[in-house]
Amino acid sequence: MTALPATQKESATNAITKQLRGNLQTYALVIALVVIWGLFAVLTNGTYLSPQNVSNLFRQMTITAIMSVGMVLVIVHGSIDLSVGRLAGFVSVVVAILQLRTWHHLFPEQTLLAAILSTICGIGVGTLYGIVQGYIIAYLRVTSFIVTLGSMWILNGAILVATEGKTIAANQEYFEDIGQGYLDPLWGWLIAAGVVVILFVTMILGRRRKAKYGFTLPSMFADILKTAFFAALVVGYVVYVNAYRGIQNPVLILAIVAVIVSYMADNTRFGRYVYAIGGNIEASRLSGINIKLTMFQVFVLMGFLCGVAGVVMASYVGYGTIAAGTGYELYVIAGCILGGTSTLGGVGTIFGAMVGALIMASVTNGLQIMNVPSSWQYVVNGLVLVIAVYADVYFKKNK
Amino acid sequence: MSDDVILEFKNVTKKFPGITALSDVSFNIKRGEIHGICGENGAGKSTLMKILSGVYPHGTYTGEVLYNGKELKLGDRSIRQATEEGIAIVYQELTLVPTITVGENIHLGKEPVERGIINWDKLYSDTDRLLKKYHLDVPSHAMVRHLGVGKMQMTEIAKALSEDAKILILDEPTSALAESEIDQLMDILRGLKKHGVTCIYISHKLEEFFQITDSVTVLRDGKHIVTEQTKKLKVEDLVRHMVGRAMKERFPKGHRKPGEVILEVEDLHAQDPNDRNFEIVKGVSFNLRKGEILGIAGLMGSGRTELVMTIFGEYGKVTQGKIKLNGKEITTKNSADAMRQGISLVPEDRKRHGLVLIQSILRNISLATLSRFSKLFRINDSAELKESMEFAKSLTIKASNLNAKAESLSGGNQQKVVISKWLMSKPKVLIMDDPTRGIDVGTKYEIYKIMNQLAEQGIGIIMISSELEEVLGMSDRVVVMHEDRSVGTLDIADATQEKIMALATGTAAKSKTRKVKK
Repeated sequence: MTALPATQKESATNAITKQLRGNLQTYALVIALVVIWGLFAVLTNGTYLSPQNVSNLFRQMTITAIMSVGMVLVIVHGSIDLSVGRLAGFVSVVVAILQLRTWHHLFPEQTLLAAILSTICGIGVGTLYGIVQGYIIAYLRVTSFIVTLGSMWILNGAILVATEGKTIAANQEYFEDIGQGYLDPLWGWLIAAGVVVILFVTMILGRRRKAKYGFTLPSMFADILKTAFFAALVVGYVVYVNAYRGIQNPVLILAIVAVIVSYMADNTRFGRYVYAIGGNIEASRLSGINIKLTMFQVFVLMGFLCGVAGVVMASYVGYGTIAAGTGYELYVIAGCILGGTSTLGGVGTIFGAMVGALIMASVTNGLQIMNVPSSWQYVVNGLVLVIAVYADVYFKKNK
Repeated sequence: MSDDVILEFKNVTKKFPGITALSDVSFNIKRGEIHGICGENGAGKSTLMKILSGVYPHGTYTGEVLYNGKELKLGDRSIRQATEEGIAIVYQELTLVPTITVGENIHLGKEPVERGIINWDKLYSDTDRLLKKYHLDVPSHAMVRHLGVGKMQMTEIAKALSEDAKILILDEPTSALAESEIDQLMDILRGLKKHGVTCIYISHKLEEFFQITDSVTVLRDGKHIVTEQTKKLKVEDLVRHMVGRAMKERFPKGHRKPGEVILEVEDLHAQDPNDRNFEIVKGVSFNLRKGEILGIAGLMGSGRTELVMTIFGEYGKVTQGKIKLNGKEITTKNSADAMRQGISLVPEDRKRHGLVLIQSILRNISLATLSRFSKLFRINDSAELKESMEFAKSLTIKASNLNAKAESLSGGNQQKVVISKWLMSKPKVLIMDDPTRGIDVGTKYEIYKIMNQLAEQGIGIIMISSELEEVLGMSDRVVVMHEDRSVGTLDIADATQEKIMALATGTAAKSKTRKVKK
């Protein structure tokens, strides 16, 4: 959010209520999340909120959430990508094959090197696929819906060809840490401290920059309170997961990805163009924006993130299987929509999508603990999505 | 005309949080007349019409609306109810389904049905009868999207009349029409009058009130100022009532001193990029000087927009001729390329082509020039905000702050946002395609002043306009277009409405020879 140039000095409480009102939708989601947690905590006699389960819950959402980060931009800019689940699946299979069959011939006993190479290759495959897909969509002008629908089949076939129908182990040393490992608690504390410092430094630098340009600053107290709130969230999270085994590696990867792309969305031309194109493609074109290039870049980024998700998936599951990533696109898209991304384009935030993904994961996880059969889990997931979006429509209408 | 009153507003007041949109408005509309309503944007015209058409149902306003002597009480199904009562509105934005036929549109929601099956023969014969009765020249089987704006509007009117409308409200019906289509519309309205239909006519084009209306009501700031028979009024009276002060000139005097030639267009030809056989510009030549406002006049469809879009690199593919900027021949591959070379364009349709409505004023203003604020990858949002604020201030954009969404602004302020966006790119040549369309008199004046200032700073301005008075009031020279060609350039000193129209309609050849004989 761009900060308001406060025309007159405003009181801290004023500033906070304004901020709250401006992001009502996001806060409504956060409230929904808290309610869901509370509900499951009661239903499971507290097991749900144990450090172990919370740690698992966040871990479970990472693969789809990494892809949701890219999907927000895809949907915001007015496209859709149905191939993400299968693309990540294909990447995981490729990585598993490299792990099991290739690296130890070339570099025997070098498990760390193998893990690094697998990661690079996995991300490379995803990005390459994104480049091809992006080129077809942006420059050959086939609609994204059709191209990615076709991709689903193509990748399905590719997975079958690569695996020959077999399950391929990817649980080698070092590599398995990517999706399954935890950071030493000490590292957790250091990261928490680092993030807190960065949050406050960014805030102060931001205020300085604004002052340099002669803007009236929002109240210092409000700024500190806001920053302190986010800092507390981060510290709280680290305290919690450290009570189990420490920060989960895949969650750290997700956080890094989300922060970087979120920053890009707000503060780079690429990000701004994505939102402008989604809002009005004609006005954007006449404003000199390269529509095709931006569209291409969006799909390359999506491919890159599918690569990341695929590597995490191979490590997390420990195998490359023919079913890898099947149906994930639905969770990825649902997370975005739940998080307030408009299917009409132009509107949506990565933060919202992360909360959306967390809601989906929280519901699934809660039902699993309660031993609800998976058939009913699907039903509940579907209901949650529709009800949540209806609630959004309802509140918007009655604002 | 009888003194039979069909509609009476009595002390109508409508309040929104923070604003009183209508305050104590009382006046009468007589049966069978064409009643003009004028006022600046925000004067309360739309609010009044929304009460009449049921958008604001009974009870959400105070005061009374008497229809045929009885109080109009529109309840829950208010919009439908208004239609059933015989009050129909033809909106400024046409509300037809483009992918179905004229007949289907007219009968949408009330198709003639026999046992659940649509009787198409009846539907089309009814349509034809209706169209014939009111002399609406539209083919009933044609798909709406294949029609021009004028025909679409006729369809819209037919749709209203098919509901047996007693009162037809026309909200700025001519804003998108060419001169010839306007004449046609006027004829249709006169025809409706003969059939006893009462018309309420809202417009920003004051001349039209004198062409067509029997009486005029002026609203200002939500208050009723005057209702008077049109023949007793003059344009100056209307303007005075509307702005609340006598406005001596509708066009501010500039101190423009055109300098050397900056842009030259020589015998330009261009074709539709999607259809090689279709030539959209068939020979245009003119030049533009620094600090000059060059008007481009012509009927709608004469190729004016196609011409400027070609110069801007966004539509036509140049097949012949040259564009020279500062004496050097240039090509413009696309809008980004044109901007780099110093040519900017304020597009005709600000909502579709000018603005990202769901985004903030700030984001809209800076959209075309983000590269200027970017270092490596990062956008310096403070610099962006600062410069945007300067433009917002100098162009007097009225908004609570720059984070307000563009869609929340009035038309005039939206246009200022679009102009700001293009000024940020520091153009040498600024093309403005119908810059004051759908904007009220007061804001128009502000936009004219801005144009003068820009020209005084040395920017060459090309202004397309559908209003001849505007062309004559603002230009230093006028290029007239007819059927995708430039057919003449007139110096403002000897340009008249008649001369321009003669050229624009292709009848100038005769008058020229006549002149020679003299």
